[in-house]
Amino acid sequence: MGELATLIAHLRATAEPVFVPRRGEVRWDDESWHSAAYARDPETYALLALVPGVTSEQRTRVLLRLLLASWADLDAGVRSTVSRVVRVLIRGLPATEVATALLAARRRRANHKHVTRAALSLLAEHPRADRLVATHRAVLVACLEHALGKTTARGAVRALAEGRPDQARRSVLRFVSDPERASARLVALYARPAGAVDTLDPGPAAPDLDVDLGSDPDLGSDLDLDLAGERPATVTTTNRGDVAATLVHMYRGGPTEALRTALTRYVDAAADRVARYPGTLALVVDASASMRGYGDREWALLSQAVALRLVLERACQRLVTVSVGARLDGEAYAGDGSGTALATGVLDAIDARPDLVAVVSDGYENVYPGDLARVVATLPRSGVDTPVVFCHSAFGHSDDLRRRRPAPALPHHAFWHEADFAPLVLWLLAQTGTAAAEAELTAALRHRLTALELDLEGRPR
Amino acid sequence: MTNVDLRRLAPVDLTGYRLGQPQSAGALTMVPIFGPSYPDIAPPRTGLKLTKVDGYGRVVLTNPGGTGVAIVPLHIGWIQDGAQNHALSRSAFLAPGQELLFADACCVQAAQGGFLAERDQWFFVLPVELRPAALDLRGVQNYSKLWPAISALNNRYGLAARGHLEQILTRRRAVLELYQSRLELCAGQVGALFFVGSRLAGVEVAPDPRYFAEMWMALVCFAYGVAAWHAPAEESTAEPYDVSTVEELRGALAAGRRARVDRIAGWLADSDWRDVQQTEEERFLDLRLSTLVGERVGGQVVTDHDRLVYASVYSRALAAQSA
Repeated sequence: MGELATLIAHLRATAEPVFVPRRGEVRWDDESWHSAAYARDPETYALLALVPGVTSEQRTRVLLRLLLASWADLDAGVRSTVSRVVRVLIRGLPATEVATALLAARRRRANHKHVTRAALSLLAEHPRADRLVATHRAVLVACLEHALGKTTARGAVRALAEGRPDQARRSVLRFVSDPERASARLVALYARPAGAVDTLDPGPAAPDLDVDLGSDPDLGSDLDLDLAGERPATVTTTNRGDVAATLVHMYRGGPTEALRTALTRYVDAAADRVARYPGTLALVVDASASMRGYGDREWALLSQAVALRLVLERACQRLVTVSVGARLDGEAYAGDGSGTALATGVLDAIDARPDLVAVVSDGYENVYPGDLARVVATLPRSGVDTPVVFCHSAFGHSDDLRRRRPAPALPHHAFWHEADFAPLVLWLLAQTGTAAAEAELTAALRHRLTALELDLEGRPR
Repeated sequence: MTNVDLRRLAPVDLTGYRLGQPQSAGALTMVPIFGPSYPDIAPPRTGLKLTKVDGYGRVVLTNPGGTGVAIVPLHIGWIQDGAQNHALSRSAFLAPGQELLFADACCVQAAQGGFLAERDQWFFVLPVELRPAALDLRGVQNYSKLWPAISALNNRYGLAARGHLEQILTRRRAVLELYQSRLELCAGQVGALFFVGSRLAGVEVAPDPRYFAEMWMALVCFAYGVAAWHAPAEESTAEPYDVSTVEELRGALAAGRRARVDRIAGWLADSDWRDVQQTEEERFLDLRLSTLVGERVGGQVVTDHDRLVYASVYSRALAAQSA
């Protein structure tokens, strides 16, 4: 597994939330891992927080790591990227998690200017800041007074409350994009509203904090850090993306000119939304009867697998497709009844000397079960160092895939909707491990950062 | 698996049939059977209609088609919303347009009543564990005759010991139905051998691929899936092959697959089912419906002279454990 793939796997794994105890060290079990990753390449480390599927807990850790570090020695370009990532994380993470990171920075006595900006950004720009002011007033005060200095903070609030905003401009308002909103929230913060649920006194002797900020859903953010888009609540065969829907109709009733024209248009549009893949990708497509399915779900999985192949044909410098269980000639599907012999497909794919082999399957390896796992385990001692990954084809968001892992050791990524293709391709780039693929991944993450900023500003991407 | 001697499976001529590539899902192994189609037999889903449940243990079936005799699949049963669930203890012929009362049906639901006609329904085939009891009780008009066997089976699988087959079929339906994806129906397939673990559990042969396709789910999910779900599955290991090149890996993979096929052929060879008594039960023109009873095997077959048309033959050994 390449370095980026390892980093991403860690960031997508479940983690305990960062905890700031009343006394003692901030609890953060993988701090050394984050510090090492940051030290190797701060810019890439920051961008990896935007990889789809990174957990909220890990994004909070990245935010904390970035807040703790001095950015003084960073190149201007790197500093800019890191600063932009911090901004979208502050706006995109739940308000309580941002506050936790700021509390941890306070405990570590991180007195950087970017911490000041971060604290003010949470107060002024987080979409749930009003509610946070009402429910976690003392925590916010502690963060703010750490960031600005107690005297400065209170002086600025007093000036704002007494209608002298010019006297708060240099210390506070110059750091925020909406001074009017920030002013109102600052005044509200120190007004001690009746609805406050914490009892910590923000007075001169504010105690150390031992606060579980909880996970109030009303303190979440409406910024979609994964850029996952809208998904149907009720999944059907034809509401999983335009390409797959068109293919379903072609498989059901045969191709027509209108369907062909639409398919080309939809594939072009879908391909525009995924990153480029440099090098050769070998796709082993399970086209067996279980992928075709039956009843209400007939053609659902197969059509999405074929949709992925069509999109990758445009996105990849070179795509090699190996079909297992059926012939997939353009629009036609011809099951050959040979079942799902994935291991043979992988070996055939290896012959093409690809940079990565991606197996696309529902996971039902019914012909010679266990062969895929054994073959994959044997490849390294056979002189093959090509990475092999498993792209799990699912019907919808609630599929239980635990019993459908024919080779549990393989890196694994599920997909069911056309909107999953972009995250999937990012993941494939990371798994490939070549310098070209990692450069493409970094470039794609920069594009996602820009897209998030446009979302924040309410502008079209 | 073309070299397997199919004549060991049943006292009928299986000349012309061949076996396909084995498939496995957990403890269930299915070997497809390919062979000649027998024309003009109405398939069960479209050619057979449960018209009404005319009282406990009394089921009326119709063959609504204008052409083609229907062969009622052995041990077929129906689940209906709001109605009493029943299964048949035997096969039968239904001529086109014919309505037939099965007064010896088995109620498979020990509580809740209702004799509703023509509701939304789905059909199953009795789990192999219950099939010997059901066949032995054919002709017996007692709607509760299968409850003791169902109760024993429920008890064996850790469920409440009562005559409710629904406890297995309906409550576990989502899990059992996965077998129809985990194992794949092949194009042109007319039958299958089903193994649970290393034991031959059943041989199913249909008149043609369409008939078998319509029976596929009921057989793989319910007739054999239930026993397989509760049987310990062989643990597969991802131990690497001892090779150093891709070519050697291909060779090792092929050898491993041959060994697996040989192992399944060995299971088949250990399942000598020829020692059975065959008794003719019904006729329709040249078709003969016969019951097979042996120490290790039971079931029914339909033949046209020496030619096999339909077979549903199962191991009694799996059932003996639950009786």
